[in-house]
Amino acid sequence: MNKLGSGFYFPGHDKEHILRHTAESPYNPVIVQRTDHRYRHLLGGIVIPLLLTLMDWPFREILTSSNILMFYLLGVFFVAIRFGFWPSILASLTNAAAFAYFFAPPIFSFAITDPENLVGLAVTMVVGTVTSKLAENVRRQALVAEHRERRASSLYRLSKALAEAHLETEIIEIGVRHIHAEFGGRNTFLFPDRNGALCYPDAVPLEISLRGADLDVARRAFKHGQTAGNETDTLSGETTLYIPLNGSTGTIGVLALEPSDLRQIFLPEQRQLLDTYVNQIVHTLERANAAEQAKEATLKMQAETLRNSLLSSISHDLRNPLATIIGAACTLEMDEDRLDEGSRRKLVAVISEESQRMSDLTIKILEMARLEAGEVVLNRQWYAPEEIIGSALRRLDKKLANRQVNIQMANNLALIHIDAVLLQQVMVNLLDNADKYSPAGLPIDISVQTTPLGLSITVADRGPGIPEGLQHKVFDKFFRVNAESAQSGVGLGLSICRAIVEAHGGDIQATNRSGGGALLQLHLPIQDYPPIVDPEEKEPIL
Amino acid sequence: MKAMSPLLLLIEDDPQFQRLLSTTLETQNYRVLGFTSGQEGLIAARNSQPSLVILDLGLPDIDGQEVIRRLRKWSEVPVIVLSARDQESEITQALDNGADDYLTKPFSTAVLASRIKALLRRVAKVPGGAQEIFQVGELKIELTRRRVFVGTQEVSLTPIEFNLLCVLVRHAGFVVTHRQLLEKVWGPSHIEHSHYLRIYMGQLRHKLEADPARPRYLLTEAGVGYRLYEGEN
Repeated sequence: MNKLGSGFYFPGHDKEHILRHTAESPYNPVIVQRTDHRYRHLLGGIVIPLLLTLMDWPFREILTSSNILMFYLLGVFFVAIRFGFWPSILASLTNAAAFAYFFAPPIFSFAITDPENLVGLAVTMVVGTVTSKLAENVRRQALVAEHRERRASSLYRLSKALAEAHLETEIIEIGVRHIHAEFGGRNTFLFPDRNGALCYPDAVPLEISLRGADLDVARRAFKHGQTAGNETDTLSGETTLYIPLNGSTGTIGVLALEPSDLRQIFLPEQRQLLDTYVNQIVHTLERANAAEQAKEATLKMQAETLRNSLLSSISHDLRNPLATIIGAACTLEMDEDRLDEGSRRKLVAVISEESQRMSDLTIKILEMARLEAGEVVLNRQWYAPEEIIGSALRRLDKKLANRQVNIQMANNLALIHIDAVLLQQVMVNLLDNADKYSPAGLPIDISVQTTPLGLSITVADRGPGIPEGLQHKVFDKFFRVNAESAQSGVGLGLSICRAIVEAHGGDIQATNRSGGGALLQLHLPIQDYPPIVDPEEKEPIL
Repeated sequence: MKAMSPLLLLIEDDPQFQRLLSTTLETQNYRVLGFTSGQEGLIAARNSQPSLVILDLGLPDIDGQEVIRRLRKWSEVPVIVLSARDQESEITQALDNGADDYLTKPFSTAVLASRIKALLRRVAKVPGGAQEIFQVGELKIELTRRRVFVGTQEVSLTPIEFNLLCVLVRHAGFVVTHRQLLEKVWGPSHIEHSHYLRIYMGQLRHKLEADPARPRYLLTEAGVGYRLYEGEN
């Protein structure tokens, strides 16, 4: 039974008792009561017998001495159960004195003349002491059981909370909170950064988090995998313990703990509990890391697949125009004399068109690669959406020459903080798509709305629209609704749009509009309000 | 002098691209001096006094920006910079350093030819003194009388709007960077206040353009600056 170690500490709010081994009885905890409680309990050992004496007094003529002794014995039981062993011994002594003085003849004297009374009193005292001892054992076992149960349930709560946590930050927060609840004080977890130097976690500290840990001591604990700081319960100035988090593959971090009562932490029972806590947290962290690594591996694999599809897509889309250009150029070079003027012109036109197409593709591929690589830093400036639309339309001037473009714009001079070059690229891609995928002559509708919440732009055409179920796929890289069609494009235009819009913290969606046609809508949230412009003196010049 | 065709200095490190440009420009009756490094180009600019410099920003020896800075210390020769795409900040810097115009690769040689022509024409015009009337399409600006007309209708502008328009007119056909406009219209203290420029440019468009969302005269060069349309050459 007594794997309990050599000491108990009762946590929680009523730190009423501390059980501690004495040198004489290493496996037999003795209750050491807090001083104020001890006096109150000892007082109980005197008051109860005196009360019994008062109750028995009126009946002294009726009751025999053995009856009275029985009552006293009952009192001793009560004290033993209620207040513990030593108060019950005191109660026995008080009983003896009261019995001798008030009931055993001669009355009002401590002398006892009747040998029967003397024997009765002696037996009562022995029985009282023995039963007190038994009651005390029962009482202590109850306390031990209660303590163990509390410990088990606190561990249960910890493991239950940890089982539901998936992110490292969640696990750390749970660890900090539960260790605080169990051991009081403040604590924090320190983990190595990329360079292997210990530092505080990134998460916002809790109000119970420990700040100002001694990182040098923590690093020592981390390096040697051994507890550092105040390593004994001697009263040195250091109040913080640095406990290494030893995982299956080595030390993964350090717990810095400044308990509310440093001495109690050094009770073996408490240390064992703390170690169990730390182990649970370490295992959960390792589990989370393993899951994270598995996820990364999957992502890597997906990236690999994507790269392959990129390669095949690029080789297809670039090889064809290249073949045409080389072929046409060769013909011009070799058979110059035999070609008539018309054929020569045709070949030159082919070269020009195909290289333009290749140029567009290359630019898109490079743009996407740049966005993907995370190299793009937004150069946000204050711009009126009207200006962006205008410059995008101008870039497509030739393409849209024979098409009606309707622009609906409200509040068109409101400024919004965006990267104009990238947003212009988005508009060019959207308009280019609308032009490419709707029959010539049908109008394109642009609508722009600036509200205090954000900027919404829609570009809608009257083409065939996007087949049901593919509306979210059109933003995927290299996705083309009709992959076999001769419509030039690598399927990157909308992916670029999405990457740019998302870099602005916005979103973009594709739907079909009523009456037929695709509708692309982007929304950019407003993050800052435009700076104030000093008004100009209003008098116009003449 | 007039019989002599203009001399163009071409500093471009890609030999194939240089060959293409030289051939194209020579057929258009320019004399072309080609160099593949900035050092050589700068020496040639000093020795042979070209009418115009075409400079690629990505050079193997010195940074193209540095070439412009050194050139501008002693020469007012027009400079057109060539740059790879998506380098608006590079372009803006080159223009602020004193380049007159820019083209992003790939570009059509026809556009290059028209930019060269426009720059040479501007240089030729300068000694004649300040221009009095600027006119393109429906837009007519009388600079000294400070009056602006769209068609026959006079438009009233605020002083700032008019000053802004004036700066663009002085550089008509060429891009003027945000920084240059802010400095010339609002003063050096407002160089970072690009929102002023956007608001006044918006107001100008609403007063001068038939459809402000599809401007014909006041053109935006996203990320770089503005260009006042000068008409077809």
